[in-house]
Amino acid sequence: MVGNGGKAGRYEFDETDRRILELLKVNGRATNQKIARLLKISAATVSARIRQMEDAKAMKVIAATDFSAFGYNILIAIGVEVQGRPAEDVAQELAKLSQILSINLVTGAKDIEILLAVHEFSELSDFLLNDIAAIRGIRSLSPAIAVDTVKFDFDIAPLS
Amino acid sequence: MTKYQLDTFDHQILKVLASDARLSNRKIAQALGVTEGTIRGRLKRLQEENYLRFTAVTALSYLGNPLLVFIGVTAEQGRVKEVAQAIAEMGGIRSVIITLGRFNILVVGMYGTLQEVLDVANNSILALPGVRHVETSISVKQLKYDTRLAKITRPFVPVDDDE
Repeated sequence: MVGNGGKAGRYEFDETDRRILELLKVNGRATNQKIARLLKISAATVSARIRQMEDAKAMKVIAATDFSAFGYNILIAIGVEVQGRPAEDVAQELAKLSQILSINLVTGAKDIEILLAVHEFSELSDFLLNDIAAIRGIRSLSPAIAVDTVKFDFDIAPLS
Repeated sequence: MTKYQLDTFDHQILKVLASDARLSNRKIAQALGVTEGTIRGRLKRLQEENYLRFTAVTALSYLGNPLLVFIGVTAEQGRVKEVAQAIAEMGGIRSVIITLGRFNILVVGMYGTLQEVLDVANNSILALPGVRHVETSISVKQLKYDTRLAKITRPFVPVDDDE
């Protein structure tokens, strides 16, 4: 959850945690022994800290895969306007659609921001005419098709 | 040059890594009934081809539970690339995506205070040559996010593996 953190929001990273994380952000598969050697601490400490951060849902080492590894060649950021229904209810229904990778309720001209991924443009007809059409309260969709990603940092995220 | 396309075996490896990204090459090899060298080779290729990265994702508390901010930037069409590159260098910016549609650039940032949002969106970005308009919206609730799917934009830096 953005802003209020939840349980993970209370974890306090200390200096040792941050030094371990700096190494794991560069190489998530660095062994405990290697991290221990570089930081001049024991491998048992490294292992315990990693487990502690993972248990608190403050950190998770991931194998991040590019959208294209799954054939998602088209990414579209869509601003959704809602009418006559709570935006959160509409967002909950959108969350069930597998093509939608992220959903945020937002302030401003749009009510919901979603990121949609499809393999090819022909999939959009099913998405619009079946999936979206079945959700009550969507007034309009304003798309922006991704054509070039200049930067995409993913090492800080909600962990739940 | 055609880019390497993942085969079924690559996807099997990714599936194993999805449950534990720190599993040793030896254990992945055991699980899939192949040699350790095969796994090492596949992981190297997937990373070199920018399909895969191993990293520690930290919770939002790492940045003090920041505001997640979307900034839609409208810029002169001929200057979109230079504007996007300038924005990518600014503080707190997480993503910069050039788009075709309701704006030219979608910017995602994380900021501790509204003052920082003002400094970046309304002062720094708006002042860039070629920028016509910025539209800022702040996430009040995130309902869905997949940490394991991303756009890999940073070059692969090989590290010596002493497993």
